[in-house]
Amino acid sequence: MMAAVFATALLAFVVAWRGHQRFASVCFLVSIALAVGLFLYEIYSPEYGFRMPWLQTLDNPMPWMARRG
Amino acid sequence: MPADDSTARLRLPPELNYAFLLLVLLGIAAILTAAMVLQYGSGELPCPLCLLERFAMFGICFGIIRNFRHGFSYRNTGYSLLCGIFLLVVAVRQTLLDIYPRPGHAYIGSAIFGLHMPVWSIVIALCVLIAYAVKLAVLGENASLRDTAIDAFPAFARLARVASLYLIALLAVNFVSVVIQCGLGECHTFSYRLLG
Repeated sequence: MMAAVFATALLAFVVAWRGHQRFASVCFLVSIALAVGLFLYEIYSPEYGFRMPWLQTLDNPMPWMARRG
Repeated sequence: MPADDSTARLRLPPELNYAFLLLVLLGIAAILTAAMVLQYGSGELPCPLCLLERFAMFGICFGIIRNFRHGFSYRNTGYSLLCGIFLLVVAVRQTLLDIYPRPGHAYIGSAIFGLHMPVWSIVIALCVLIAYAVKLAVLGENASLRDTAIDAFPAFARLARVASLYLIALLAVNFVSVVIQCGLGECHTFSYRLLG
């Protein structure tokens, strides 16, 4: 998938350099779409989904908070 | 026949515009070159989100190179801003993933001035977005930007051509590197897939 992202980006650059503007735009937008899809895939966790529970310190008190209590 | 004062004033914004674009392009080319040097010189394999950050930096340059090659257009500015925002989103998410130490999650690679790559990516994205905002605020919408190609400034044109070709070559190297590291599947940071 990452190879596809870079391949379409490289194609967009080469095509843009050679003057085919519309095709270059299409390739570039495809590469962005692939990159966004890959980004969502990479950050998704089967356990947490897209949440980041390690940042929710209110529900998961820090050690020093537990000691204070 | 000497140019009158009004003509000289009209020529100033396109020069500033292309100088700005050239500066951004050279800055990003230097950053991406440093990333490749760290990868192959220090053996630091990039994580998937790091590779997406590299892609976003190349994307910022896509709009700039089109401006150099085929004349200035605000559409190309849009492409660059889109990738700048994508870079910021990816970098913030990666920083938040690693900001709290826990098993299996830590910043990858060495720190430069105390900051790791994802944090630097936030700084870079903010610099690009702020620079574009200031440029738009200062130069605004100006027909002379669109009507004046970079060829009107031969020194800029030569430098832009070399920098653009260097960046395309760097992207090709990155593509080959990604294929060697990830193959056609998922990327990992412990070894190059095609090198065993």
